[in-house]
Amino acid sequence: MTQFIFTFLNGLTLAGLYFLVASGLTLIFGLMRVINLAHGAFYLLAGYVSWTIADKTDNWFYGAVAGALTLGVFGTLVYVLLLRKFQYEELRVALITLGVSLVLAQAMLAIFGGDYYQTNSPESVSFSVPIPGLGLSYPFFRIFVLILAIIVAVGLWVFISKTRYGAIIRAGVDDTTMVSALGINVQAVFIWIFFLGSVLVGFAGSVGGTTNSFGMGTDGDYLLFSLQVVIIGGLGSIGGVAIGSFLVGVIGQFATGYYPTFAGIITFAMLILILAFRPQGILGKKQ
Amino acid sequence: MTRKRIMYATVLILAIIFPFITPDPDFWVSSGGTRALWLGVTALSMSFLNRNLGLMSLGQLFFSGVAGYIVAISSVTHNVKFGTSVPLAILAGTLSGVIIGWIALKTKGVYFLMLTLAVTLGLYSFANQAQEITRGHTGINSIPSPIIFGMDFAYVKPLYYLFLGIAVVLFALCKFLEKTSFGIALKGVRDNEDRMISMGYRTMPLKMIAFVFSSFLASIAGVMGVFYVTNISPDSVGLVRSIDLLVIVVVGGATYLGGAFVGAILIAVFEAIIQDFTQYYVGATGILFIVVLMLAPQGLMGIAAQVRARRAKKTGASA
Repeated sequence: MTQFIFTFLNGLTLAGLYFLVASGLTLIFGLMRVINLAHGAFYLLAGYVSWTIADKTDNWFYGAVAGALTLGVFGTLVYVLLLRKFQYEELRVALITLGVSLVLAQAMLAIFGGDYYQTNSPESVSFSVPIPGLGLSYPFFRIFVLILAIIVAVGLWVFISKTRYGAIIRAGVDDTTMVSALGINVQAVFIWIFFLGSVLVGFAGSVGGTTNSFGMGTDGDYLLFSLQVVIIGGLGSIGGVAIGSFLVGVIGQFATGYYPTFAGIITFAMLILILAFRPQGILGKKQ
Repeated sequence: MTRKRIMYATVLILAIIFPFITPDPDFWVSSGGTRALWLGVTALSMSFLNRNLGLMSLGQLFFSGVAGYIVAISSVTHNVKFGTSVPLAILAGTLSGVIIGWIALKTKGVYFLMLTLAVTLGLYSFANQAQEITRGHTGINSIPSPIIFGMDFAYVKPLYYLFLGIAVVLFALCKFLEKTSFGIALKGVRDNEDRMISMGYRTMPLKMIAFVFSSFLASIAGVMGVFYVTNISPDSVGLVRSIDLLVIVVVGGATYLGGAFVGAILIAVFEAIIQDFTQYYVGATGILFIVVLMLAPQGLMGIAAQVRARRAKKTGASA
């Protein structure tokens, strides 16, 4: 029973992290039809940046902010310099981002080496909370991640579907020419979306680099998690990411806890099963 | 047509005499020739699918990995003879194409790319986790070389000619398939699936056969990889390897079958030269890849056509 509850809590908090990671990917795709397959490399880069800054300043929050902003700027540069020209050629853009992830992977290996890193969590949230009725305790920082994910989820939903800026973004995606004719700079809107999506993955990398260790190969792992989450949930849907994160996080943790050898296969079987019935994912629109 | 035949004959003759004319044959036959042939066959499986169905698959290393791991595990851990394990591995790799194809072929474009990438990365994480089966991160090392009719393929030249034979046969098989009514129907599906459906074709079986055929090619390449590298580890099916393969296909020219081998030769030579100077050759290939994608998306094989089109456009504009 104790193992069950711990596994569930681990899965749930991991789902929070997956949500933070994959929301940027789905946001950019959903609004711009641009798929960033350097997403895993972005995550890892943010981990390194925030680790470095947190280590230098001895302040976790500075590290997290630095990770998020660096990635925001970096992602925007990648978009403007490499992707913007081909924005309407989905496959070409996806391939270019794979090239970016290859270059990044090598650059990070050259700078940070093959060792694994983990950022120290901030002291103000580094305590354990008791689980009522069981006499056990659970690290608060992991719950903090889940709370952050919920805040980001609600924030994104409100921003996109309730505010004027969200309306402009949605309109700019549906009919670029018409919105430009209304005097709105659609190119600037796209840049902001890419910035926001990259900030999200940057923040996720800072947080994830605190709850889990990271290093060479982490980019591939988190790209896989993000792909699984958005494929299961449906690409382009924030709600889909929430459902996908929950399934991949919780089922993945139970599989790892109870059948470690076949954990990967179990998550995969789930993915195939869902796609067999809904090829576009649980909340995805028909392609 | 005859010009094309002369070109094929020239390339084949060059490939046959290559071990005798290259400087430093011990190094270049293995690190240049044999390696390019192995990578080329893997890339061929990807090019075939892209050329005939318009689908860019990153799942080929999954099939290679399944076949490669089966050969490695059965020969090293269970002492199974290659005569049994190799056909079994190729069969298993090919059949896994049925399951993956059943799901992946419901999607296209960038979804197909993502799904197939997830499949390969899934094998990577399985290979890392399932230590009892795959020996985890260290992988399976010192896989023995095959001995066929008393010939030991541990030597450089026999392995090169074995790979050359396989590559020629598979290339010819792809060319042959494209000429059959099946191949022509495939092109119809690639260009306009809805029209093919309304003409009464059942397109799913057509796509499925093409996909399973490409997983067959990738499985053979997986076995070749095991014999060439003599080990297999999760990194053999990791993200970097998958992108490396994509680089070969795109740089060579993703819509040409020959592009697979042009790209493979280029990358093999590039890596062989650059690895002495710098450990950053993966980054270098990444930059090459981005430049090619931005400037010449049809790859090296397509550059001639691209230049011709541009010139025609220019003269057309000035006239």
